[in-house]
Amino acid sequence: MVPREMDAQRALELLHMTVFSQSVSPCGKYLAAGNNYGEIAIFSLSAALSSEAKEESKKPVVSFTAHDGPVYAMVSTERQLLSSGNGELRAWNWSDIVKKGCKEAWSRRPPYRSSLEVPEINSLQLNPKDNSILLAGGDCAVHAMDLESGTFTHEFRGHSDYVHCLALRDQSQECLSGSEDGTVRMWDLRTGAQVHLIEVHKYEECSRPQHGKWIRCLATDCDWMVCGGGPALTLWHLRSVTPTTVFPLPHCQQHVMFYQDLILSAGHSPAINHLQISGEVRAQIPCTPRSVHSLCVNEHSPEHKVLTAAGSSHKVDVFTNFSYRAFSLCFA
Amino acid sequence: MGAVTDDEVIRKRLLIDGDGAGDDRRINLLVKSFIKWCNSGSQEEGYSQYQRMLSTLSQCEFSMGKTLLVYDMNLREMENYEKIYKDIENSIAAAHEKIAECKKQILQAKRIRKNRQEYDALAKVIQHHPDRHETLKQLEALGKELQHLSHIKENVEDKLELRRKQFHVLLSTIHELQQTLENDEKLSEAEESQETHMEAETKQ
Repeated sequence: MVPREMDAQRALELLHMTVFSQSVSPCGKYLAAGNNYGEIAIFSLSAALSSEAKEESKKPVVSFTAHDGPVYAMVSTERQLLSSGNGELRAWNWSDIVKKGCKEAWSRRPPYRSSLEVPEINSLQLNPKDNSILLAGGDCAVHAMDLESGTFTHEFRGHSDYVHCLALRDQSQECLSGSEDGTVRMWDLRTGAQVHLIEVHKYEECSRPQHGKWIRCLATDCDWMVCGGGPALTLWHLRSVTPTTVFPLPHCQQHVMFYQDLILSAGHSPAINHLQISGEVRAQIPCTPRSVHSLCVNEHSPEHKVLTAAGSSHKVDVFTNFSYRAFSLCFA
Repeated sequence: MGAVTDDEVIRKRLLIDGDGAGDDRRINLLVKSFIKWCNSGSQEEGYSQYQRMLSTLSQCEFSMGKTLLVYDMNLREMENYEKIYKDIENSIAAAHEKIAECKKQILQAKRIRKNRQEYDALAKVIQHHPDRHETLKQLEALGKELQHLSHIKENVEDKLELRRKQFHVLLSTIHELQQTLENDEKLSEAEESQETHMEAETKQ
C-alpha cells in the first residue's frame, strides 16, 4: 500500500481520477473498482447497503496498486479477480483480497507481434463454457487465453485499429469485437475465423461523421446486438445484419448493457439512459461522474442487487432502485 | 427463614397496596372491629357493630368479586390479542408470498414485453421491404415477357438466316452466270482471233 503522506497531492489525484472498470466479487458482497492510477479499491457493498451504514462504509475496505498504468478492464471468475492494464493480465485471489493480503496470483502477457510495443488491454470477457478469457488489445487483435493452462490459444486478427470492446454470444460460441476502425467483427471461437464484418459507419441511419466512426461499446443478447460510440447507439438484428432501431441520444455512448427488458447505456453525459427496444428513451438518471466509463449490475447476490456507475470522478455511484442515485462510494 | 417470608409478605403487601389502599385498610378495620365486638358487652352496640361488620364484609366481598371479574376480563383480552397477533403473522406471510409471486410475474411480463418489442423492431424493418407476393408476381410477369421476347428474337433470327441463305443462293447463281458469260466471251474472242489468223495465213 502506498503511504498517503501528502494530503494535497492525494486531493489533486482524487480530482483527476477516472475509474475505468468495475467488477463484483463472486459472493456479491464486494465491488472492485480500478482507476487510471493503476489502483484497485475494494468496497464492501454489504456494509454500505446495510441500515447502519456510516461514512466509513462508503470508503474502500482495502486498496492496492495493481498495475503501472491505468486498469482498463476487470472481470471476476469464481475465485479470482482478473485485471488488465498496459499489456498485462494479472490475477488476484478474492479470498486474499478480502483478508487484505493483496499479492498477485499470476500475471501473463499475450504474445505481441513486436517486443517493443506495450499495447493496452481494453476489454476482458470471460467464456465460462471452455474456461477461457478473451482479451481485446491495442495491437488490433483479440487474444484468447485458456485459464487452466495459461496458454494463449487463438489470436483473431483482422481489425486495422485497436479493439475497444468485446461481447460474447454463448449459444453459438462466437465473439463480437468493436474497434476504433469503425467495424464490428464476429469471430468463431472454435475455428478462429472471421464470420461477419459490419461496417457501422457505412449505414446512413446511424453514422455520425461529426463524432467519428469508432465503436466503443458492444453488448449482445442472442440474436440482437447493440453498439455505439462515434455512430449513434443502434440495435442490430444479427441474423439479417440490419440496424433495426437507432436511439436518439446526442452523446457518444461508452458502455451499454442489456438488462431485463431494457437497454442501459451511459457515455459522455452525466446520466444513465434507460432505453426500450422500441427506441424510446424511458429515463435519463443523473449521476455524479461527468462521463461514465463503466456500468455494473450485481447479479450475484439478490439482497445487494444494485447498479453501480463509474467514470471520470473519484466517486462510484450506487443505484439501489435503478431509477435514482442512492449514494456514492468514494475512493480514499 | 423468617426474613424470606417477611420479604415475601412485604412484597405481596406492596403489590396489593398499590391496587387499592381502601381494601387492605377495610380488612384491617374489620378484623379490629370483630375483636372489639367480641370483647364488647352491651346488646344494642353489639347489634349495630354486628350490622356494621356485615356491611364491611359485604363491601369486601363485592370488591373481591370485582377483582375476579377484572382478572377474567384480562385473561380473555390476552387470548383475543394472541389471536389477532397470529392472524397478523399469517397475513404477513401471505403478503410475502404474494410479493414473491408478483415479482415473478413482473419478470415474466418484462420478458414478454421485450419479445414484443423485438418483434416490432424487426417488423418495422421488414415493412420497408415490398410485399413478397407482389414481387413474385412482378417476377413472373417479367419472366413471361422475357420468354415472349426471346421467342420473337428466335423467329426473327430464323427468318434472317433463311433470307441470308436465299440471297447467298441468288448471288452465287449470278456469279456463276457472270462467269459463264465471261467464259463464253473469252471463247468467242479466241475463236474470232483464230479465224482472222487462219484467214491471214490462207491469203498469203
